[in-house]
Amino acid sequence: MKTTNFLKAPLTINWAVTNVCNFKCRHCYSRTDPSQELDEKTLHDCIEKIIAAGVLSINFGGGEPLLRSDLLDIALFASQRGLRVSMNSNGYLINREKARSLKAAGFSKVGISIDSHRPEVHDSFRGIRGSHQKAVAALAYLKDAGIKTSLSTVICRINYHDIDTLIAFAAEHGVHQLNFHNFKCSGLGYSNKDELDLSADEWKDFYISAMKAKQQVKGMEISLDDPIIASLGMKAETDSLVKGSVCGKLSLNIKSNGDITPCGFIPIVIGNIASDDLKDIWFNSPVLAKMRNKIPTGKCSTCKSYDDCLGGCSARALALTGDFNNPDPHCWVHES
Amino acid sequence: MKIFRNPEILWREEDESKAEAYEGLEQGEDVSEMGTSVLFSDGIMLSLNVLGTEIWKRCDGRDVESIVSDLTLQFDVEPDVLRKDALMFLDELAEKGFIRYEDN
Repeated sequence: MKTTNFLKAPLTINWAVTNVCNFKCRHCYSRTDPSQELDEKTLHDCIEKIIAAGVLSINFGGGEPLLRSDLLDIALFASQRGLRVSMNSNGYLINREKARSLKAAGFSKVGISIDSHRPEVHDSFRGIRGSHQKAVAALAYLKDAGIKTSLSTVICRINYHDIDTLIAFAAEHGVHQLNFHNFKCSGLGYSNKDELDLSADEWKDFYISAMKAKQQVKGMEISLDDPIIASLGMKAETDSLVKGSVCGKLSLNIKSNGDITPCGFIPIVIGNIASDDLKDIWFNSPVLAKMRNKIPTGKCSTCKSYDDCLGGCSARALALTGDFNNPDPHCWVHES
Repeated sequence: MKIFRNPEILWREEDESKAEAYEGLEQGEDVSEMGTSVLFSDGIMLSLNVLGTEIWKRCDGRDVESIVSDLTLQFDVEPDVLRKDALMFLDELAEKGFIRYEDN
Protein backbone atom coordinates (compact mmCIF):
# COMPACT_ATOMS: atom_id res chain seq x y z
CA MET A 1 0.00 0.00 0.00
CA LYS A 2 3.08 2.20 -0.20
CA THR A 3 3.76 4.10 -3.41
CA THR A 4 5.90 6.89 -4.76
CA ASN A 5 4.60 9.93 -6.56
CA PHE A 6 4.97 13.65 -6.93
CA LEU A 7 3.78 15.99 -4.18
CA LYS A 8 1.27 18.83 -4.48
CA ALA A 9 3.43 21.18 -2.38
CA PRO A 10 6.60 21.10 -0.29
CA LEU A 11 6.28 19.17 2.95
CA THR A 12 8.66 21.54 4.69
CA ILE A 13 9.77 25.12 4.32
CA ASN A 14 13.18 26.09 5.64
CA TRP A 15 12.82 29.76 6.44
CA ALA A 16 15.77 32.06 7.17
CA VAL A 17 13.77 34.73 8.99
CA THR A 18 16.86 36.84 9.58
CA ASN A 19 20.43 36.91 8.38
CA VAL A 20 21.66 38.67 11.49
CA CYS A 21 23.97 36.45 13.48
CA ASN A 22 26.00 36.64 16.67
CA PHE A 23 28.48 34.00 15.45
CA LYS A 24 31.31 33.97 12.92
CA CYS A 25 31.17 30.41 11.60
CA ARG A 26 33.88 29.45 9.16
CA HIS A 27 31.48 27.61 6.87
CA CYS A 28 28.57 30.13 6.97
CA TYR A 29 26.44 30.01 3.80
CA SER A 30 24.30 33.08 4.52
CA ARG A 31 26.83 35.72 5.52
CA THR A 32 26.58 37.37 2.13
CA ASP A 33 22.78 37.13 1.86
CA PRO A 34 20.64 40.31 1.86
CA SER A 35 19.86 41.83 5.23
CA GLN A 36 16.33 42.90 4.30
CA GLU A 37 13.65 41.17 6.40
CA LEU A 38 9.93 40.74 5.91
CA ASP A 39 7.91 42.48 8.63
CA GLU A 40 5.75 40.43 10.97
CA LYS A 41 2.46 41.21 9.20
CA THR A 42 3.88 40.17 5.83
CA LEU A 43 5.31 37.03 7.40
CA HIS A 44 1.88 36.17 8.80
CA ASP A 45 0.36 36.54 5.33
CA CYS A 46 3.11 34.38 3.87
CA ILE A 47 2.56 31.71 6.52
CA GLU A 48 -1.17 31.66 5.65
CA LYS A 49 -0.12 31.25 2.04
CA ILE A 50 2.10 28.23 2.65
CA ILE A 51 -0.58 26.60 4.81
CA ALA A 52 -3.12 27.06 2.03
CA ALA A 53 -0.70 25.39 -0.38
CA GLY A 54 -0.49 22.33 1.89
CA VAL A 55 2.88 22.77 3.61
CA LEU A 56 3.00 20.84 6.88
CA SER A 57 6.06 22.08 8.68
CA ILE A 58 8.28 25.10 8.92
CA ASN A 59 11.85 25.17 10.16
CA PHE A 60 13.22 28.57 11.10
CA GLY A 61 16.86 29.33 10.49
CA GLY A 62 19.08 32.17 9.50
CA GLY A 63 21.33 33.78 10.60
CA GLU A 64 20.40 33.13 14.18
CA PRO A 65 16.58 33.10 14.27
CA LEU A 66 16.44 34.10 17.94
CA LEU A 67 17.94 37.47 17.03
CA ARG A 68 14.63 38.29 15.45
CA SER A 69 12.69 39.89 18.30
CA ASP A 70 9.28 38.77 17.01
CA LEU A 71 10.27 35.14 16.39
CA LEU A 72 8.07 33.80 19.18
CA ASP A 73 5.03 35.67 17.86
CA ILE A 74 5.69 34.40 14.33
CA ALA A 75 6.13 30.83 15.59
CA LEU A 76 2.95 31.03 17.67
CA PHE A 77 1.05 32.30 14.66
CA ALA A 78 2.29 29.32 12.62
CA SER A 79 1.81 26.65 15.28
CA GLN A 80 -1.70 27.81 16.16
CA ARG A 81 -2.63 27.28 12.52
CA GLY A 82 -1.43 23.70 12.58
CA LEU A 83 2.08 23.97 11.20
CA ARG A 84 4.75 21.88 12.89
CA VAL A 85 7.32 24.45 13.98
CA SER A 86 11.01 23.84 14.54
CA MET A 87 14.22 25.84 14.44
CA ASN A 88 17.96 25.58 13.99
CA SER A 89 19.88 27.72 16.46
CA ASN A 90 23.39 28.09 17.79
CA GLY A 91 21.86 27.92 21.27
CA TYR A 92 23.73 30.93 22.62
CA LEU A 93 20.57 32.84 23.59
CA ILE A 94 18.60 29.92 25.01
CA ASN A 95 18.32 29.97 28.77
CA ARG A 96 15.69 28.28 30.93
CA GLU A 97 13.18 31.08 30.46
CA LYS A 98 13.70 31.28 26.69
CA ALA A 99 13.29 27.49 26.39
CA ARG A 100 9.94 27.69 28.18
CA SER A 101 8.79 30.52 25.95
CA LEU A 102 9.80 28.51 22.86
CA LYS A 103 7.65 25.68 24.15
CA ALA A 104 4.75 28.06 24.72
CA ALA A 105 5.16 29.38 21.16
CA GLY A 106 4.67 25.87 19.83
CA PHE A 107 8.19 24.78 18.93
CA SER A 108 8.17 20.99 18.80
CA LYS A 109 11.85 20.59 18.05
CA VAL A 110 14.97 22.72 18.16
CA GLY A 111 18.23 21.77 16.52
CA ILE A 112 21.40 23.02 18.16
CA SER A 113 24.61 23.31 16.17
CA ILE A 114 27.55 21.62 17.83
CA ASP A 115 30.47 20.61 15.67
CA SER A 116 32.71 18.91 18.19
CA HIS A 117 32.57 17.32 21.61
CA ARG A 118 35.71 19.37 22.36
CA PRO A 119 34.71 22.90 23.44
CA GLU A 120 37.84 24.57 22.08
CA VAL A 121 37.36 23.01 18.63
CA HIS A 122 33.70 24.05 18.43
CA ASP A 123 34.40 27.56 19.73
CA SER A 124 37.16 28.06 17.19
CA PHE A 125 34.99 26.81 14.31
CA ARG A 126 32.03 28.96 15.35
CA GLY A 127 34.22 31.98 16.14
CA ILE A 128 32.81 32.64 19.62
CA ARG A 129 34.51 31.69 22.86
CA GLY A 130 32.14 29.95 25.27
CA SER A 131 29.70 28.99 22.54
CA HIS A 132 30.07 25.25 23.19
CA GLN A 133 29.18 25.62 26.84
CA LYS A 134 26.12 27.71 25.95
CA ALA A 135 25.02 25.22 23.29
CA VAL A 136 25.27 22.30 25.69
CA ALA A 137 23.32 24.24 28.33
CA ALA A 138 20.66 25.04 25.71
CA LEU A 139 20.14 21.33 25.04
CA ALA A 140 19.39 20.78 28.73
CA TYR A 141 17.04 23.77 29.00
CA LEU A 142 15.12 22.68 25.92
CA LYS A 143 14.82 19.13 27.14
CA ASP A 144 13.57 20.36 30.53
CA ALA A 145 11.01 22.53 28.74
CA GLY A 146 9.66 19.49 26.88
CA ILE A 147 11.07 20.32 23.45
CA LYS A 148 12.71 17.60 21.40
CA THR A 149 16.28 18.42 20.50
CA SER A 150 18.54 17.53 17.65
CA LEU A 151 22.24 18.08 17.36
CA SER A 152 23.46 19.43 14.04
CA THR A 153 27.05 18.75 13.16
CA VAL A 154 28.66 19.95 9.94
CA ILE A 155 31.11 17.25 8.99
CA CYS A 156 34.45 18.62 7.90
CA ARG A 157 38.15 18.30 8.61
CA ILE A 158 37.79 19.22 12.32
CA ASN A 159 35.51 16.30 13.22
CA TYR A 160 35.30 13.57 10.58
CA HIS A 161 37.23 11.09 12.72
CA ASP A 162 34.97 11.69 15.75
CA ILE A 163 31.83 9.75 14.78
CA ASP A 164 31.67 7.51 17.84
CA THR A 165 32.55 10.33 20.21
CA LEU A 166 29.94 12.61 18.71
CA ILE A 167 27.30 9.90 18.98
CA ALA A 168 28.21 9.30 22.62
CA PHE A 169 28.14 13.06 23.23
CA ALA A 170 24.69 13.37 21.65
CA ALA A 171 23.37 10.42 23.66
CA GLU A 172 24.81 11.86 26.87
CA HIS A 173 22.83 15.04 26.29
CA GLY A 174 19.60 13.23 25.49
CA VAL A 175 19.09 14.47 21.95
CA HIS A 176 16.38 12.89 19.85
CA GLN A 177 18.29 13.10 16.58
CA LEU A 178 21.89 13.59 15.50
CA ASN A 179 22.31 15.20 12.09
CA PHE A 180 25.60 14.73 10.31
CA HIS A 181 25.40 17.45 7.66
CA ASN A 182 27.58 17.16 4.61
CA PHE A 183 29.85 20.09 3.84
CA LYS A 184 28.22 22.24 1.17
CA CYS A 185 30.90 24.61 -0.18
CA SER A 186 28.49 27.58 -0.22
CA GLY A 187 29.28 31.10 1.02
CA LEU A 188 32.22 30.99 3.42
CA GLY A 189 32.12 27.22 3.04
CA TYR A 190 33.29 27.78 -0.51
CA SER A 191 35.98 30.28 0.51
CA ASN A 192 37.29 27.92 3.20
CA LYS A 193 36.75 24.63 1.39
CA ASP A 194 40.43 23.88 0.87
CA GLU A 195 40.95 24.05 4.60
CA LEU A 196 37.71 22.33 5.71
CA ASP A 197 36.39 19.98 3.04
CA LEU A 198 37.36 16.31 2.79
CA SER A 199 38.60 14.46 -0.24
CA ALA A 200 36.17 12.12 -2.02
CA ASP A 201 37.87 9.06 -0.50
CA GLU A 202 37.74 10.60 2.95
CA TRP A 203 33.99 11.15 2.48
CA LYS A 204 33.63 7.53 1.50
CA ASP A 205 35.45 6.34 4.62
CA PHE A 206 33.40 8.70 6.77
CA TYR A 207 30.07 7.49 5.38
CA ILE A 208 30.95 3.81 5.68
CA SER A 209 31.76 4.33 9.35
CA ALA A 210 28.76 6.60 9.93
CA MET A 211 26.35 4.16 8.26
CA LYS A 212 27.67 1.29 10.38
CA ALA A 213 27.19 3.43 13.49
CA LYS A 214 23.71 4.41 12.36
CA GLN A 215 22.73 0.77 11.98
CA GLN A 216 23.99 -0.05 15.47
CA VAL A 217 22.74 2.89 17.51
CA LYS A 218 19.31 2.44 19.09
CA GLY A 219 17.13 5.09 20.67
CA MET A 220 18.51 8.01 18.69
CA GLU A 221 17.98 8.78 15.02
CA ILE A 222 21.18 9.49 13.11
CA SER A 223 20.53 11.47 9.96
CA LEU A 224 22.94 11.52 7.02
CA ASP A 225 21.48 13.85 4.42
CA ASP A 226 23.86 13.12 1.56
CA PRO A 227 22.47 11.38 -1.54
CA ILE A 228 25.88 10.06 -2.61
CA ILE A 229 25.61 7.49 0.20
CA ALA A 230 23.39 5.49 -2.16
CA SER A 231 26.47 4.26 -4.02
CA LEU A 232 27.61 2.40 -0.90
CA GLY A 233 24.64 0.05 -1.18
CA MET A 234 24.23 0.03 2.60
CA LYS A 235 20.72 -0.22 4.02
CA ALA A 236 19.67 3.16 5.39
CA GLU A 237 16.87 1.91 7.67
CA THR A 238 14.90 4.98 6.68
CA ASP A 239 12.60 5.66 3.78
CA SER A 240 12.47 8.74 1.61
CA LEU A 241 9.89 9.53 -1.00
CA VAL A 242 12.48 10.69 -3.49
CA LYS A 243 15.91 9.78 -4.80
CA GLY A 244 18.85 12.17 -4.86
CA SER A 245 18.67 15.61 -3.28
CA VAL A 246 15.38 16.34 -1.52
CA CYS A 247 15.65 20.07 -2.29
CA GLY A 248 12.90 21.21 -4.60
CA LYS A 249 11.23 17.80 -4.27
CA LEU A 250 10.22 17.68 -0.61
CA SER A 251 11.26 21.12 0.61
CA LEU A 252 12.00 24.70 -0.37
CA ASN A 253 14.00 27.48 1.23
CA ILE A 254 12.82 31.03 1.89
CA LYS A 255 15.30 33.83 2.53
CA SER A 256 14.80 36.69 4.96
CA ASN A 257 13.51 38.97 2.18
CA GLY A 258 11.02 36.36 1.02
CA ASP A 259 13.01 35.12 -1.95
CA ILE A 260 12.45 31.42 -2.58
CA THR A 261 15.34 29.14 -3.51
CA PRO A 262 15.39 25.35 -3.96
CA CYS A 263 17.55 25.05 -0.85
CA GLY A 264 19.59 27.32 1.39
CA PHE A 265 22.78 26.37 -0.40
CA ILE A 266 21.56 27.10 -3.92
CA PRO A 267 21.60 30.84 -4.63
CA ILE A 268 19.08 30.75 -7.47
CA VAL A 269 15.93 32.74 -6.72
CA ILE A 270 12.83 31.09 -8.21
CA GLY A 271 10.23 33.49 -6.82
CA ASN A 272 9.22 35.46 -3.76
CA ILE A 273 6.75 34.21 -1.16
CA ALA A 274 5.28 37.67 -0.59
CA SER A 275 4.49 38.37 -4.22
CA ASP A 276 4.24 35.00 -5.98
CA ASP A 277 2.02 31.94 -5.81
CA LEU A 278 3.81 29.07 -4.10
CA LYS A 279 2.03 26.32 -5.99
CA ASP A 280 2.73 28.03 -9.30
CA ILE A 281 6.43 28.08 -8.44
CA TRP A 282 6.31 24.48 -7.19
CA PHE A 283 4.77 23.19 -10.40
CA ASN A 284 6.16 25.57 -13.01
CA SER A 285 9.64 26.72 -11.97
CA PRO A 286 12.10 25.76 -14.75
CA VAL A 287 14.87 25.52 -12.13
CA LEU A 288 12.90 23.01 -10.05
CA ALA A 289 12.02 21.09 -13.19
CA LYS A 290 15.71 20.86 -14.03
CA MET A 291 16.57 19.70 -10.52
CA ARG A 292 13.84 17.05 -10.60
CA ASN A 293 14.89 15.79 -14.01
CA LYS A 294 18.65 15.80 -13.89
CA ILE A 295 20.56 14.47 -16.87
CA PRO A 296 23.60 12.37 -16.00
CA THR A 297 26.89 13.71 -17.33
CA GLY A 298 30.49 12.54 -17.12
CA LYS A 299 31.03 9.50 -14.90
CA CYS A 300 27.35 9.58 -13.84
CA SER A 301 26.40 8.50 -17.37
CA THR A 302 27.75 5.01 -16.85
CA CYS A 303 27.41 4.70 -13.07
CA LYS A 304 25.18 1.87 -11.85
CA SER A 305 24.29 3.89 -8.72
CA TYR A 306 22.92 6.86 -10.65
CA ASP A 307 19.29 5.77 -10.40
CA ASP A 308 19.59 5.89 -6.62
CA CYS A 309 21.80 8.93 -6.04
CA LEU A 310 20.84 11.04 -9.10
CA GLY A 311 24.24 12.64 -9.23
CA GLY A 312 24.44 13.43 -5.51
CA CYS A 313 24.03 16.86 -3.94
CA SER A 314 22.76 19.34 -6.53
CA ALA A 315 23.94 22.32 -4.44
CA ARG A 316 27.48 21.05 -4.31
CA ALA A 317 27.60 20.20 -8.01
CA LEU A 318 26.33 23.67 -8.83
CA ALA A 319 28.72 25.46 -6.44
CA LEU A 320 31.83 23.66 -7.61
CA THR A 321 31.12 22.95 -11.28
CA GLY A 322 28.45 25.46 -12.28
CA ASP A 323 25.87 22.83 -13.29
CA PHE A 324 23.41 20.70 -11.29
CA ASN A 325 23.82 17.88 -13.77
CA ASN A 326 27.52 17.40 -13.23
CA PRO A 327 28.67 14.68 -10.83
CA ASP A 328 28.81 15.68 -7.17
CA PRO A 329 32.48 16.56 -6.55
CA HIS A 330 32.35 14.58 -3.29
CA CYS A 331 31.54 11.38 -5.17
CA TRP A 332 34.23 8.73 -4.77
CA VAL A 333 33.02 6.40 -7.50
CA HIS A 334 35.56 6.12 -10.32
CA GLU A 335 34.52 6.28 -13.95
CA SER A 336 33.61 2.81 -15.25
CA MET B 1 -7.69 -3.89 19.68
CA LYS B 2 -8.20 -0.21 19.04
CA ILE B 3 -5.85 1.44 16.57
CA PHE B 4 -4.67 5.03 16.91
CA ARG B 5 -2.57 7.20 14.62
CA ASN B 6 0.55 8.60 16.28
CA PRO B 7 -0.26 12.33 16.63
CA GLU B 8 3.41 13.13 16.00
CA ILE B 9 3.09 11.98 12.40
CA LEU B 10 2.55 14.73 9.85
CA TRP B 11 0.35 13.74 6.94
CA ARG B 12 -1.77 15.09 4.18
CA GLU B 13 -3.82 13.84 1.28
CA GLU B 14 -2.59 14.68 -2.20
CA ASP B 15 -5.78 16.11 -3.71
CA GLU B 16 -4.86 15.90 -7.38
CA SER B 17 -3.52 12.36 -7.10
CA LYS B 18 -6.54 11.34 -5.04
CA ALA B 19 -8.96 12.62 -7.68
CA GLU B 20 -6.95 10.84 -10.38
CA ALA B 21 -6.93 7.59 -8.41
CA TYR B 22 -10.68 7.60 -7.81
CA GLU B 23 -11.27 8.36 -11.47
CA GLY B 24 -9.05 5.40 -12.33
CA LEU B 25 -10.96 3.18 -9.90
CA GLU B 26 -14.25 4.07 -11.53
CA GLN B 27 -12.81 3.01 -14.86
CA GLY B 28 -11.57 -0.28 -13.43
CA GLU B 29 -7.88 0.62 -13.60
CA ASP B 30 -5.19 -0.64 -11.25
CA VAL B 31 -4.36 2.38 -9.07
CA SER B 32 -2.44 0.50 -6.39
CA GLU B 33 0.82 2.26 -7.31
CA MET B 34 -0.73 5.73 -7.22
CA GLY B 35 -0.04 7.65 -4.02
CA THR B 36 -2.91 9.64 -2.56
CA SER B 37 -1.38 10.63 0.79
CA VAL B 38 2.00 11.29 2.29
CA LEU B 39 3.05 10.62 5.87
CA PHE B 40 6.27 11.68 7.49
CA SER B 41 8.05 11.62 10.75
CA ASP B 42 11.68 12.01 11.74
CA GLY B 43 13.60 10.37 8.93
CA ILE B 44 10.74 8.23 7.64
CA MET B 45 8.37 9.10 4.82
CA LEU B 46 5.62 7.06 3.28
CA SER B 47 3.31 7.58 0.36
CA LEU B 48 0.10 5.54 0.59
CA ASN B 49 -2.27 4.43 -2.14
CA VAL B 50 -6.05 4.84 -1.96
CA LEU B 51 -6.66 1.83 0.22
CA GLY B 52 -3.69 2.56 2.50
CA THR B 53 -4.87 6.14 2.90
CA GLU B 54 -8.41 5.11 3.77
CA ILE B 55 -7.13 2.64 6.37
CA TRP B 56 -4.81 5.31 7.81
CA LYS B 57 -7.66 7.82 8.08
CA ARG B 58 -9.69 5.30 10.06
CA CYS B 59 -6.96 4.69 12.66
CA ASP B 60 -8.88 6.83 15.13
CA GLY B 61 -9.65 4.25 17.79
CA ARG B 62 -11.50 1.73 15.62
CA ASP B 63 -10.47 -1.92 15.47
CA VAL B 64 -9.47 -3.86 12.37
CA GLU B 65 -12.90 -5.45 11.92
CA SER B 66 -14.57 -2.07 11.97
CA ILE B 67 -12.10 -0.68 9.42
CA VAL B 68 -12.47 -3.72 7.14
CA SER B 69 -16.26 -3.76 7.23
CA ASP B 70 -16.34 -0.04 6.49
CA LEU B 71 -13.97 -0.34 3.54
CA THR B 72 -15.65 -3.38 2.00
CA LEU B 73 -18.71 -1.16 1.56
CA GLN B 74 -16.58 1.36 -0.33
CA PHE B 75 -14.22 -0.85 -2.33
CA ASP B 76 -14.75 -3.92 -4.47
CA VAL B 77 -12.60 -6.30 -2.44
CA GLU B 78 -13.13 -9.58 -0.58
CA PRO B 79 -13.25 -9.00 3.21
CA ASP B 80 -10.78 -11.82 3.90
CA VAL B 81 -8.28 -10.46 1.40
CA LEU B 82 -8.68 -6.94 2.73
CA ARG B 83 -8.35 -8.11 6.34
CA LYS B 84 -5.09 -9.93 5.58
CA ASP B 85 -3.63 -6.97 3.66
CA ALA B 86 -4.81 -4.48 6.28
CA LEU B 87 -3.25 -6.45 9.12
CA MET B 88 0.09 -6.62 7.34
CA PHE B 89 -0.04 -2.93 6.51
CA LEU B 90 -1.00 -1.94 10.05
CA ASP B 91 1.76 -4.06 11.54
CA GLU B 92 4.26 -2.27 9.31
CA LEU B 93 2.91 1.11 10.43
CA ALA B 94 3.11 -0.02 14.05
CA GLU B 95 6.70 -1.16 13.58
CA LYS B 96 7.60 2.29 12.25
CA GLY B 97 5.80 3.93 15.17
CA PHE B 98 3.14 5.51 12.97
CA ILE B 99 0.25 3.86 14.84
CA ARG B 100 -0.26 2.21 18.19
CA TYR B 101 -2.57 -0.59 19.29
CA GLU B 102 -4.57 -0.33 22.47
CA ASP B 103 -6.49 -3.13 24.19
CA ASN B 104 -10.25 -2.71 24.17
